[in-house]
Amino acid sequence: MARYAMVIDLQKCVGCQACTVACNSEWDVPAGYARTHVRQAGPVGKLPSLLASPYIAQCNHCDHPTCVAACPTGATFQTASGIVKVNRDLCIGCGFCVDACPYDARFLNPAIHKVDKCDFCADRLEKGLPPACVTTCTAHAKYFGDLEDAHGDVFRLVYERGGRRNETADVHIGPNVYYLGRKANLDLALATFAPRLPRLVTPGRLWRGLVKPLVLAAIGATFLGQAVAFFYQLRSGEKQFDD
Amino acid sequence: MKTTISRRDWLRRTSLAGAVTAGTAKAGEEAPAVPARPGWQGSQRVRKIATNCEMCFWRCGVLAEVRDGQVAKLEGNPDHPLTAGRLCARGNAGTQLLYDSDRLKRPMLRTGARGEGKFRDVSWDQALDFLSARMQDLKGHYGAESLAFFPHGVASSFFATLMKAFGTPNSAEPAFSQCRGPREVGYALTFGSGLGSPEPVDLEESKLIVLIGSHIGENVFTSQVTAFGTALERGAKLIVVDPRFSVAAAKADWWLPIRPGTDIALLLAWMNVLLEEGSYDKEYLASYASGLPELTAHVREFTPEWAEAITELPAASIRETARVMAAAKPAVALHPGRHATWYGDDTQRARAMAIVTALLGSWGRRGGIFLPTDLHTGSMPLPPFPKPSRERADGAGTRYPLASEEQGLTMGLVEATLTGKPYPIKGWIVYGQNVLESIPRREQTLKAIAALDLMVVVDVMPVEQIQYADLVLPEATYLERYDPPAVVASAKRPFVAVRQPVIEPLYDSRPGWWIAKQLAARLGLEAYFPWQSPDEHLAALVRPLEVNLRELRTRGAVAFAGRPYIDERTPDDGPLFGTASGKIELYSPALKQLGFDPLPRYMPVADPPPGYFRLIYGRAAVHSFARSENNAWLDALMPENQVWINSDVARDLRLADGERAVLENQDGVCSLPIAVRVTPGIRRDCVYMVHGFGQESRGMRRAYRRGASDTQLMTRVGIDPVMGGTGMRVNFVRVRRGPERG
Repeated sequence: MARYAMVIDLQKCVGCQACTVACNSEWDVPAGYARTHVRQAGPVGKLPSLLASPYIAQCNHCDHPTCVAACPTGATFQTASGIVKVNRDLCIGCGFCVDACPYDARFLNPAIHKVDKCDFCADRLEKGLPPACVTTCTAHAKYFGDLEDAHGDVFRLVYERGGRRNETADVHIGPNVYYLGRKANLDLALATFAPRLPRLVTPGRLWRGLVKPLVLAAIGATFLGQAVAFFYQLRSGEKQFDD
Repeated sequence: MKTTISRRDWLRRTSLAGAVTAGTAKAGEEAPAVPARPGWQGSQRVRKIATNCEMCFWRCGVLAEVRDGQVAKLEGNPDHPLTAGRLCARGNAGTQLLYDSDRLKRPMLRTGARGEGKFRDVSWDQALDFLSARMQDLKGHYGAESLAFFPHGVASSFFATLMKAFGTPNSAEPAFSQCRGPREVGYALTFGSGLGSPEPVDLEESKLIVLIGSHIGENVFTSQVTAFGTALERGAKLIVVDPRFSVAAAKADWWLPIRPGTDIALLLAWMNVLLEEGSYDKEYLASYASGLPELTAHVREFTPEWAEAITELPAASIRETARVMAAAKPAVALHPGRHATWYGDDTQRARAMAIVTALLGSWGRRGGIFLPTDLHTGSMPLPPFPKPSRERADGAGTRYPLASEEQGLTMGLVEATLTGKPYPIKGWIVYGQNVLESIPRREQTLKAIAALDLMVVVDVMPVEQIQYADLVLPEATYLERYDPPAVVASAKRPFVAVRQPVIEPLYDSRPGWWIAKQLAARLGLEAYFPWQSPDEHLAALVRPLEVNLRELRTRGAVAFAGRPYIDERTPDDGPLFGTASGKIELYSPALKQLGFDPLPRYMPVADPPPGYFRLIYGRAAVHSFARSENNAWLDALMPENQVWINSDVARDLRLADGERAVLENQDGVCSLPIAVRVTPGIRRDCVYMVHGFGQESRGMRRAYRRGASDTQLMTRVGIDPVMGGTGMRVNFVRVRRGPERG
């Protein structure tokens, strides 16, 4: 089974935002929102010794995605090839996953009132096309492919050129977007846009989004248990107990 | 994962073989239904039509996905020889120009006073009858030369033909005197030919890239950025000379934050090192160049130590970078730049860059500047154009002997309009050019417009100048019209690429070819438009290339074998160097003869007065000039510009990052409020802003008064005596805390 991953060479990336617009166009993401963001780290230092780097933020399709665990309805799930997807039919727009993502890669899409994010253009992959951002990238800075294909670009760039994951000592959930760049620039970019701790939900939102459904589910389960017991007893006959 | 797509697959997916004609894209065999995706509306059947982009002038290859007569999406055309399926942010956002509700929708005649912006809608017949009658009036009263033409964009070429047929030589576009002119002239004086567009810089094969003020990455031309990225990945080194820590500077191995206006001093010092150390390409120069002894003597005194005092760059850095260049020669891509009108000494700076290129043996060599391979196109026979009875009014070819008579001097036409000298200019036709944002000294332009008998604007968007127009004609966008194909010689594989309509024009807009042809018929000039349809025009143009028209329209482009390097040239390509001597002219007898310095010399430029900063400007990756600021998607990414101010300076002025300030120039002209960007990434003696913002057109509801306009602050220019270019980095501003606090 494939393990999809992306490599972004920040020394090549010029931050032109072609990826952002191609993605918005491909997936009808409303203007002002994006599944893939271009950010700028720096400049820091004192002229003429300065450092700066672009950085591209998007869903990392992590090995251990905190968003999947946070989703109360099972709308967010991970495929066998590692893509974290959102089933819009199940999404209730509660936003728990938005808070749970240490990379702020998710947002509530105001046009559909559901959560939205990068899915590595899964529909395009099925048609044999790479993700739209990879296709359009003017600097040819984005690579996509199977991390387990030893002959592929992604394998080479991660294992031979040392692509780095954006992780910290506190947050290491196995992101599958890898970054290349000059060491000093890359250090700056990864430090500037380091993952945050997954945010816990507030009691109010917990009640509305999670506890309430859980209570309802529990009530439902009670009735279901009663029914199962009733039919079981009906079939096996009531046991007689001696006093 | 392998994601290569064979041509057959691509054709099957797009499935439009033969379905498209150049004049009108007709539905052909349609593709099989594809699964629905969220957000997709309407029909599940799709056609993809190839054309080329005009969100800027690079004309990248586009595939338009059309569903039920709507353009659902634009993507890169993988078959395009130059851009190979990639598109920048603007190219991807082209649908937002097409469907911008602020577009000009129908012809309009002015009803109120000039500048009041009151119009009534008229039919095309009424509009064209009005225009042809007024043109004939002007011709009768003042002569055909009294009509001036300000074009931009490829569609304007049909109007250019009309203007020549009408009998006026007075056509001028900012591409020359506000942009590339000095570069073209400086390189042509040295190598016998200019560079053209796209620039034939062999970035991808270079071992060393040298950028002088070029901000690749913020200035995005898709294939150039691709080549830049390829070079960096391959390990090419990078030298960036820029007073600002640009995107490219952040990737550089050597960043030289030069004092603005002193580039010629740096270039002379580089020449000094290369010649004194004998590290130039001796064999190349012996074969191809003249003037080496004169150059050697000339630069002897211009040591790195001499240049350090002028440029504020350490002599050691100057020497080191010169040696790095010598080591990498001839694979040094010293980028000639594009917007070159900086200080008025620009032709000489371009000459200095050309001379360094020659010393490194880079012209015509792998990894340097490659050579164009001409494509010989055809045309339908036209009657000879009438010879204008008077010279051009702007001084191109006379007062400025080396100015292009094809592209002219915009400000020269503005001045002629104002003064009536050498003869009256009474009418302007402005075509796709935003004269108030592209030509400096805006007040003067407005005065000239006020003095006109006839002002006509042909455009897609209601740019500011329509308020002053007597007649406004709505042009169809590039996605709705046929234009002459891109015939590109300055690519390693020269190619021809079509521009064809992917849908019918929206509203009551019309393609440029149609407007010109209709007007020609009314003026009795139809013989200059002998083709009946765009199909016929295209067929005549590409006939000598022997391409299959169906393939050209389906794939969008057809490429040919190129001979980009000196060792591949054949006698058919003509002389290697088109100078009078047939050699690279390090010393320029042509300049000497005209009374100019035959070797470049550093002339000091004025420093900012105390409390003022030099105003420098540039581009942003998501916008094109002043053309794209109203585009919904691009506006969302960059709704306004900022003024970059050095952190130390900002502290002294007590300016905070994000705060709004007003820029006041040396003549007391003030900008709209603009957000301050406090950054260590700019020198203390200058401030920087992106061009194209602060627009004053109410009709463009997103762009209206967002950010500030650099052009408004350009009340002074440094005129290049060689070719009449207008250097625009000679203005100074002080920063006042603004009325609004951000």
